This record gives sequence, C-alpha cells and structure tokens, in this order.
Amino acid sequence: MVNGYSPKSLQQALLIRSKEAVIPYAGGTDLMVQNKKGAVYLFLNKIDELRQITDDGEYIRIGAAVTFTEGLKSDLIPQIMKEAVSRIAAPAIRNAGTFGGNLGNASDKADSVLIEVAMGAKVRLLSVGRERIMPVEEFFIKRGNTALADDEIIAEILLPKDKCSAPFYYKKVGGRNALAISRVALAGVYEIKDGVIASFSAAAIAGGGVFQRYPEIEAGFIGKTADEIKANKSEYLKAYSEKLTFARGRVSAEYRKTVIMNLIGDYIDTL
Amino acid sequence: MREICRSIKKKDHDPKIEGRSRYLADYNLTDSGREILCGKLLRSQYARARVKGVELPDMPDGYIYVDASDIPGDNNVNIVLDDTPVFARETVEYIGEPIGMIVGPDEKEVSRLISETKVDYEALEPMTDLRKADKAFFNYEFGHGDVEKAFAEADRVFEEEFTTGYQEQAYLEVQGMMAEPEDDGKMYVHGSLQCPYYVHGALARAMGTGPDGVHIYQDVTGGGFGGKEDYPSILGCQVAVAAKKANAPVRCYFDRREDMEFTPKRHPSLCRYKMAVKDGRVTAVDCDVIFDAGAYSTLSAVVLQRGIIAAPGIYDIPNVHVTGRALKTNTVPCGAYRGFGAPQTFFAVEMMMSHIAQALGEDILEFKAKHYVKQGDKTSTNGLYHFPVPIPAMVDEVDELSDLRRKHKEYSKPQSGRYRRGIGLSTYFHGAGFTGSGERDIIKAVAKLHKYPDGTVEVLASNSDIGQGVRTTFPKIVAHELNIPLEKVYYDHPDTARVPDSGPTVASRSLMTVGELLRRAAIKLRNIWVEGEEQEVEEHYKEPDFMIPFYLDRFEGDAYPTYAWGVNAIEVEVDTYTGVTNILGAYASFDVGTPVDYNIVMGQMEGGFLQGIGYASIEKMDYDKNGKIWNRSFTDYLIPTAVDVPELKVTLHVEEYPDGPYGAKGAGELPLVGAAPAFVAAVEQALGGAEKHPLHSAPFNAEDVISELNKEVK
Repeated sequence: MVNGYSPKSLQQALLIRSKEAVIPYAGGTDLMVQNKKGAVYLFLNKIDELRQITDDGEYIRIGAAVTFTEGLKSDLIPQIMKEAVSRIAAPAIRNAGTFGGNLGNASDKADSVLIEVAMGAKVRLLSVGRERIMPVEEFFIKRGNTALADDEIIAEILLPKDKCSAPFYYKKVGGRNALAISRVALAGVYEIKDGVIASFSAAAIAGGGVFQRYPEIEAGFIGKTADEIKANKSEYLKAYSEKLTFARGRVSAEYRKTVIMNLIGDYIDTL
Repeated sequence: MREICRSIKKKDHDPKIEGRSRYLADYNLTDSGREILCGKLLRSQYARARVKGVELPDMPDGYIYVDASDIPGDNNVNIVLDDTPVFARETVEYIGEPIGMIVGPDEKEVSRLISETKVDYEALEPMTDLRKADKAFFNYEFGHGDVEKAFAEADRVFEEEFTTGYQEQAYLEVQGMMAEPEDDGKMYVHGSLQCPYYVHGALARAMGTGPDGVHIYQDVTGGGFGGKEDYPSILGCQVAVAAKKANAPVRCYFDRREDMEFTPKRHPSLCRYKMAVKDGRVTAVDCDVIFDAGAYSTLSAVVLQRGIIAAPGIYDIPNVHVTGRALKTNTVPCGAYRGFGAPQTFFAVEMMMSHIAQALGEDILEFKAKHYVKQGDKTSTNGLYHFPVPIPAMVDEVDELSDLRRKHKEYSKPQSGRYRRGIGLSTYFHGAGFTGSGERDIIKAVAKLHKYPDGTVEVLASNSDIGQGVRTTFPKIVAHELNIPLEKVYYDHPDTARVPDSGPTVASRSLMTVGELLRRAAIKLRNIWVEGEEQEVEEHYKEPDFMIPFYLDRFEGDAYPTYAWGVNAIEVEVDTYTGVTNILGAYASFDVGTPVDYNIVMGQMEGGFLQGIGYASIEKMDYDKNGKIWNRSFTDYLIPTAVDVPELKVTLHVEEYPDGPYGAKGAGELPLVGAAPAFVAAVEQALGGAEKHPLHSAPFNAEDVISELNKEVK
C-alpha cells in the first residue's frame, strides 16, 4: 500500500509540500525499493511543468521529473550527460528514473549528478512564493544529505550551455556492464581557446560520501597548452593523489585509488 | 538428431507466462481453507556461543515460541551424518543458526517479537580461518601407482596452491516451506524444494512419526541449482515442529538477504597440487583438497567425494595420490550447487596443467592434448572410461567457433597497451549421476506409469521440475514410446503420498536415470495396453552390467557409469587502467549425449555456462574474522547479466550413452564446471602469462586485476 498526493499542477504540489510531511516522488526507483513505513509521497511525475527540457539561451533546463530515457532522446541534452545516463541501471529503470530524483536521492554514486558537478550545473528549488538557485555542488552536502528545505521541491537542473558543447572526458567503472552502481567514475569538461586551456574540470566518484572536485588543482590547468600539461603530467597526478580521499568501503581503497589515478592520467592524455 | 530432440512447448510454459503458477508465497489460505501462520527464525548473533537463555517479550494471544524442546522426534536433521540440529542445541555454531521460531498470524508482529527477544550468550572463540581449521568432518585418501618413485625420478616437480570462493545459487525464488497438520494426525509439508523424499526422511525422524506420519509436496519452484537439495529438509522440520505446537499451518519464507546470508552455498576451497614431469609428460599428481564445510557437515561428504575424484582432471597420469578433507568453520554450512565439488578441483587442475605447460615452454593446448584420457583408460579410481572420450573433436569444434588456436598464439606475444587480450581453454568432464554405488545401494529408484480408462497416462515419480523441464521431458519420453499425443501424458508436482521414491533431483540424474526407467516402463505398458482399462506399471533401477563396482572405503571402481564432457574457451580483453575484464566471447562444446529436448538443453547449457562465468569473474562473497558474510544483497553480490557476455556460443556434441534414454547423459551441471579455469587462464594470458602473473584464485575480478598489476609497480 502506497499513500500519497497526486497534484495536477506545480502550484498544488508546492502547497501540499508546504503543509504536509511528504516525500517528493519523481520516478520512485529508489523510494519504492526503500518502501519506508508510513511514508506519504508527493507524486511529481504527472506535473507537466516538471517534465520539460528547455533552452533559455544560457542554460539547458531539465525538469526534475524528466526521465533518463527522455533525456537520452532529447537533442538538448549534452553528450557527456547522455553517456553517463545511458549506463544507469537498465532500460526499465531508465524509463522511470528521473534527473530530479537522482539528485534528491542524495547518493554519492549518482551518475547524472557527477556530470552536473563536473559541468558546474545549478539546481532550481521552489517553495510557495520562493525560488532558490544554487550550484549542485553546494546543494549536495554529502551522501543522504542535501540542502533541500522541508517545504521545497527540486524543480529544474540548469546545465550551463557553454559547457554543453565543450570537449569532455567520462568513464564509469561498475561491477558489471548493466545494473551496476559506479565504484569509480571520472567526468570532466574543458575548453581550449587560442591554443591554451580556458576552463577545466574533473569530478570523481570514488566513495566517501561526496563527489570530489578540486578547483585549486583545476586552476593549474588554465592558460597551459595541452602539451605543457602532458609534459608535467606527473605533477598534476601528484597533486590529485595528495588531495583525493578514499574512505573505507566494500571495494578496496587501493583499487579505487589506483583506478581513479589511472583515469585522471587518461583524461590528461586525451586533452 | 533424433526425432525426440525436437523442441516442444514446455508444459509449465503457459501457467508461468500467464502468472497462474502458484508459488509458496502465493498461498492466501491453505487448500483446505485454513489461515496460515507466519513463522520467523530467531537467529544466532554469534559465530560460536553457548546459549544460556532466551528471554521473550510479552507474547500477545495467538503468538508462540518454538525451539528444540518442542521437537517430537529427535533434534537431528537427516541429511548424511545427521549432525545438523533442527533448532540449536546448547551451543550455536554460526551466525544465523536458528535458535527458535516465533509464530503468529501477523508477519510484522512476528518480526517485532523476534527483534525484541533477548538471547543470553556466552561467547566462545569461533574458527573462521580455513587455513587454521583442524576439525575434519570427512577425511579421504586414495590413489594408484607409485607416486613417491615418480617424484624421485622426475625431471621437474611443480607445486602450487589454488583457492576458490563461495558461490550463491541466486535462484529467482528464495527458500520457503510450509507445514499443515492434517485431520488424520499426519503432517503435510510442502514448499520450494528439489528432493521430496529427502524432506520426507528428515520429517519422519524429527517428528518421530516414521515414514507414514508425514507427506511432502513440491510446490512450483523458482530455481534450485542445488540450493534446495538439503536446506528444505532443515526448514521443513522447523515449520513442522512449529505447526505441530501451534496445531495450525505455519509458513516460513525468507527475504533475499536472509536467504543469501544463511542458506547453503558452494564450498570455498583450498587445493594444493604437486605434479611430477618426466620427459615432457606429467607422471604423477599428488593433491590435497580442502573444502570449507561450514558449521555442520550437511552434504559435504558427497560434495567432497565428487571433487576429489575429479582432482586429476581428464589427464592420463599414471601415478595419483589424492587426499581430501571437509573442514569445520563457524560459518553457514555449505551445500550443493550445480557442479557439486567439481568446479573447485577442475579449476585447480586446469590452471596447474596450464602453468606447467608454460614453464616447460610448451603450447598449453598441445600440452593438454597429449595427456587426454581416451576410451579404455583408467579413471582416477581405477574404474574405466567405458565410452569414447570426444574431447579432441570438441576442441576442434570450439576452435571453429572461436578461432581459439590462432588467437591463443597471437595473444601469447608480448602486449603493452592499455587493453590486453587473452583466451583460455578448459577441458573437463562431469560424472553423470550419483557418485559411486549410491544409485544402486541407497536410492534404488522406482518409477511408475498410471494409465486411466480414458487413455491418459500419469507419470509417478519424485523428481521436481525446478526449471530444467522434467515435467515436459518425462511425458515426452513416455508419449514417444506409447506413440500417443503428448497431451495424453502428464506429470504433476510430486507428493510423497502418491508417488514412489524415484530419488532426488540432483547430480544431473533425473533425465538420464529416471527418464530411462520411464522409457522402459512405457515399453512395458505398451506391451500390456488394454483400451479403456485402468493399468499401472512400475520399473526399478538396475545398475548397468558393465560397471566395475565402486568401493567408497578405498575409492576403487567406477565412480560414474559415464561422463558428460565439456570444452570451453573464453576470450577476454582486460582494461589495465580499471581492471575491468570485458568478455569478448564465451564458446563451448558440451556433450550431454542426446538432448531430449533441444531448446531445454540449450537453455541449460547457456545458463549454466553464464553462471560459471559469474563464479569465475564477479561473484565474490566472503566472511570476516567474526564469521559474518557482508555481500548478502544483489547490490554487493553481483551476478552477470546478458550484456556482460553478449557473445556466448554453445554447440552440442552428441556421444550417445546406451543406458540413458535415447542416448541421453547427465546435463544440468556440466556447463558450469569449466568456466572458471577458462576465464582465469584468459585473464592470465592477457596479463602476460604465468611467468609474469601466475593466477591461482577464482573469482578473479577487477580488484584482483588491479592488485596483480600493482605488484609490477612495487
């Protein structure tokens, strides 16, 4: 037995959210497995306003209830996101799972969130009479914990357009080829202008409850040519090796560290 | 192929596809209309402890607690040694061991009562290290020739150690049993199970009723793979004791985590091999095989027997010495799983032969080939390979499927890029049917056919359809011999009150042994057929005349009447950055004799092969020093999906067995047995071969690849 509200409009949804202790429900692929006792859900998956993918000139805006399958079919979604989303779970789950749910679920292994962090995406949060827009990196505090207020819902994810067509690196390592949670993953986007790196990001899933991204190391890539970076590859690797943390987990820290360092090396090689 | 091989629609196809099949969890009421109570097990939190007392919370009306003191018969489950208690004795011997059961109408309330029950333990030191374990449930030794002399005269002697891990059956339907006290005082027990008469024997003992006081029915069963060979006997006794005390039907079925953590799995193994080589040939093998039995002996005796008999592989080695022990650890008892001890020793011997070939600078395929046994050679137990050994032809077939020989040469050249390739070969057998003289001395199978006046014929046997299709293939054989339409012959799920004991559903025996009894029964019925009359015929097992009697005390004679043969080649590409091994192709030729239904057999072959690939690669499960298993969900224990082995090609090689129906031999287990050595040998080749990276363990997953590569750096 599942109890909940099925509002027809965003306004209705926000009103219910402001008054009742409800769990926002987009695709349900995690919530229905958790099957929390006594839970009351706010079903957002039928609300049209949350199911659009739009281009406002500055951002590609992905509605929270857009499913992964819909994202894969859209011309607006950048390739790096498609590569990550296409490796989430299996087709049946991608048909139900959503971008908003992946973020709201607050997993440090969420494949679409890694891309958002790497792209410097923002999240748009709504409550009755209020809107907040903040970087996804700030919104995701740590595993199981986000900045979502009790009266808010995730409305949209905003991907900066200038990063959408930029060259990128993405590699996911799971335990098998389908229905696999990322053990290690690395995603990054970069831009080259006038022969030098104009922007650079590298975000990692490597366990420990967070997505790891180090702007101070990234800053060291700016203004360099790809050849200069490759010539100093060991310096960059050393910097990452000192910064990255690997909490204990089911998959050994030795494994995660070796693999993420190999992937960062590979990323540098592809610049 | 013969007419009988033609594929037909399975008898259980429609009810399963349409969702009409009733599994144990689907019962709302019993068939007699009674309410069903829910039973949940109170389990030990310790791997070894004295249970000083159990303090129950306030029990609401209608809720009762059941433990060893409620057992009407005696507190031993009949399996092999009968050392497994129904409910714990004074001590608990593994985490999860059932101490008692709480029974009542509401499942949530039962769960609450279990969680609020306090057990007073006096913790004892558990044994959770197989290398230190010293209590042997079983200790076997056999051999022939003069091993000492062969080692003394050897040009070279090789010694290596191999380990394999747990494997979880991962059947679709978890374990579950139900017991219903009947008006006439009998206890009716049914559920998801493979061996109705095993459960029957266990119940008769635990309930103290003798064989007439109980009867057992197999519900629709969502897979077994060996996991439901012994365990339903234990759970069946527990629910029956509870139902007796409650005087009401009691059902207990597990959730997935409970099933994965606390029910039997494949035995982890530790095998030490020593081989002597003289003039380029292996002249002696001396091996010590250790299986981790867990806390009670359950089926370990027979699993170990099959494992050690296969220990020298399919190689003609004149001097053989084998020791085997099943050691006790304070962990969940291991049991049966498709392959039954053979995957462990075939992994060891196949890797060993491949390592020796590499050390001698010989081609692995050719080195193995010059040692293959052939028809008329002696087996490891001084029996005979009575029938042709088709391995060389099957290697050619696999070569044709996979381009094995060319690729094997190509991939043995030095590789240095990020992605490196390898291809591994395994060649092996699976002894068809029970080990030794069990079929003749213990099982003594009986099967019947009952013809009704309207001309329909019912098969009466005790073998369970657990997905392998005996509800289809048994009637197919009978209809074929009687020359009547298949619709006129049916085989219902067995109830021991109605069917004779045709033996358990194990050891790849059902079709070969019971199918042959039914074929002969059908001929008998055909010869006495009278239209419109009710008639019944019966057949009893007879050991084939050619068999050399087997003596278990000295492991002498024909351990099996015949063998199913397997050749596997697995081709991989290892990503040295991530350790991930991509399976480019998995190829096999299997000889299971005549496939009595082509699609059913191919389903078995492909499914079993994939299960073996899981065992070889990603299916990792282990316990910690406290005896606790952590990988107890499908999130942490991964099994392969279809996209992990997209290129899986299987061909059948048919070497007909004259004493099986239409030439059929044992089929079910064979496809799993050889995947691990083929896969690991492929990874080893990709990493640069045994000189650089000799591999000795299965499963071998991405983490293992990375830690192996990290040795190069250090």
